[in-house]
Amino acid sequence: MEKFILPKEKLIDFLKALESYDLFAPVRKEEVTVFAQVNKIDGTTFDFKNQPLTPKGIMFPQTESLFTFDTKTYAMNDSAMTPKKQRVMFGLRPCDARSFLILDPVFKQDYPDPYYLEKRTATILIGINCSEPFTNCFCTSVGGSPASQEGLDLLFIELPNSYFVEVISPQGKTIVEEASSLLSSASPEEEKIKDEIVQAVKEKIKRNIETKHLPEKIEKIFENPIWKDLAFKCIGCGICTYTCPTCYCFDIQDEVLKGGGKRQRIWDSCMFKEYTLHASGHNPRPTRAERLRNRIYHKFKQNIDKYGVAGCVGCGRCISFCPVNEDLIENLMKIKKL
Amino acid sequence: MMKNPYLPQRAKIESIRPETRGERAIKTFKLVLADKASQENFVHKSGQCAMVGILGVGESMISISSSPTQKGYLEFSIMKMGKVTSALHNSEVGEVLTIRGPYGNHFPLEEWKNKNIITIGGGIGQAPLRSVINYIQDRRKDYREIDIIYGARSTIDLCYKEELFDLEKRTDIRVHLSIDVEEEGWDKFVGFVPNNLLRIKPSPKNSIAVTCGPPVMIKFVIKSLLDLGFSDHQIYTTVENRMKCGIGKCGRCNVGSFYVCKDGPVFSYETLKQLSEI
Repeated sequence: MEKFILPKEKLIDFLKALESYDLFAPVRKEEVTVFAQVNKIDGTTFDFKNQPLTPKGIMFPQTESLFTFDTKTYAMNDSAMTPKKQRVMFGLRPCDARSFLILDPVFKQDYPDPYYLEKRTATILIGINCSEPFTNCFCTSVGGSPASQEGLDLLFIELPNSYFVEVISPQGKTIVEEASSLLSSASPEEEKIKDEIVQAVKEKIKRNIETKHLPEKIEKIFENPIWKDLAFKCIGCGICTYTCPTCYCFDIQDEVLKGGGKRQRIWDSCMFKEYTLHASGHNPRPTRAERLRNRIYHKFKQNIDKYGVAGCVGCGRCISFCPVNEDLIENLMKIKKL
Repeated sequence: MMKNPYLPQRAKIESIRPETRGERAIKTFKLVLADKASQENFVHKSGQCAMVGILGVGESMISISSSPTQKGYLEFSIMKMGKVTSALHNSEVGEVLTIRGPYGNHFPLEEWKNKNIITIGGGIGQAPLRSVINYIQDRRKDYREIDIIYGARSTIDLCYKEELFDLEKRTDIRVHLSIDVEEEGWDKFVGFVPNNLLRIKPSPKNSIAVTCGPPVMIKFVIKSLLDLGFSDHQIYTTVENRMKCGIGKCGRCNVGSFYVCKDGPVFSYETLKQLSEI
């Protein structure tokens, strides 16, 4: 694996060297940092602190038109699906990069989903290591790490005055070649400093849970009354699903405008009653207890059955953003104790 | 460019046959895909479903009630229930709908060859069973004794009346109809479907029982079948849930780790009884 050093003051030049790509990066938008397309690259554009919101919307937008239609001629047009240019997503955290590996099989298997896959294959992922984990981060409990390379093409690890650049894939190599004049080879000393920094960050992660036997346990206690207790304070707002990098459930709705319209897909949430409500009025998940149970079941049992991996990267957002302090780790602990 | 599984085909309404009346009326729509080659390529198996829709309104997952042996068209028996099905009920012959599919698994009719087949249906639940019955009629030699048990609340709630009355005249198929409440002129069984089943007492020997209908009926039919000596693997049913994508992605139709749209709708009782949340 090739390793390089990029001085911090050269970062903007590095990004400018990639101007043939559409660039997506974390930018400050009003009060929050969001992943968005960057049109103007300068020192004030970016916000590289840990991001509260996930970049999943770049591949799987919150609202996306599937096709347009004409209600008179019944013509349908789905031509706007493929990105016009190759893309680079810069500055995502290793946990969010891993989330794409969890989303990939969902959209790839059985009936490949062109909307996600066309964007996904057109996007090169350049990550930055996590240097300041949030209080509820637990990536190391679910197979991740603050400097995990999984899912990335290039990984930047922050040293005091520079970035240690790890080339992970052929696409990553292409990027490095395009900006080669800005990079120098990394020395063994710099690698040692990098390893120490990564280790120190790992130790900053305070929360953890052993998830090994969870799938069997969750199946076993499916009918246990504990779900009602766990869901007691849940208000069903769905923020856990909207901030989750691996949640992918969606709704499909038609929007009609004068003689035509578009069929759209919109993020949905399993925490909403309407999500499973039958037209007859019957609801297989009538209360928040069944809905919370389904979410945990989906993440830690169903996803493993179907795709061999838990549907969680341990980013802790569902805990941090919950308005009533539903705590996934505590909930899993209680389940394990049964 | 990749194939787009969300893009439906246009399908013209050839005919509409009212099955039942009332607030929750049922109509059978005969649809032909606008593109001739696509119609020929639309090969389904009994038990499979398709997304039937109207541009500007939406789509609903509906069981294909015609048999794969009926070529050149597709039939769907649709109960007026929510937004999409109400709009479908307001459509007229000649209008263009949309279809995606076929989706899901199917009844293993190949495996059932040389067996006795008992279908037990209630209300609109007869729709997937009609596909099975029509298939068996066209492959009659492949199967042994056939019993069709079907019931509804009253005579006006029975679907496929003409077809079933015609089948009653056949000597190689037994039809056992019922209504829940007594009516003047009705000389057949009066009572619930599970009770009719217990009265008929089909033998489990070399038999397969397939049941579709309201959940409470299915529950008691399965109980009755077990009482009659049927084993779990001889009993089949279908499951339904709200669906949006039909292709195992949108998340909502799961029962345990199965998606009903893709891994269902057909389940043997052997599989079904291991699933939570049914």
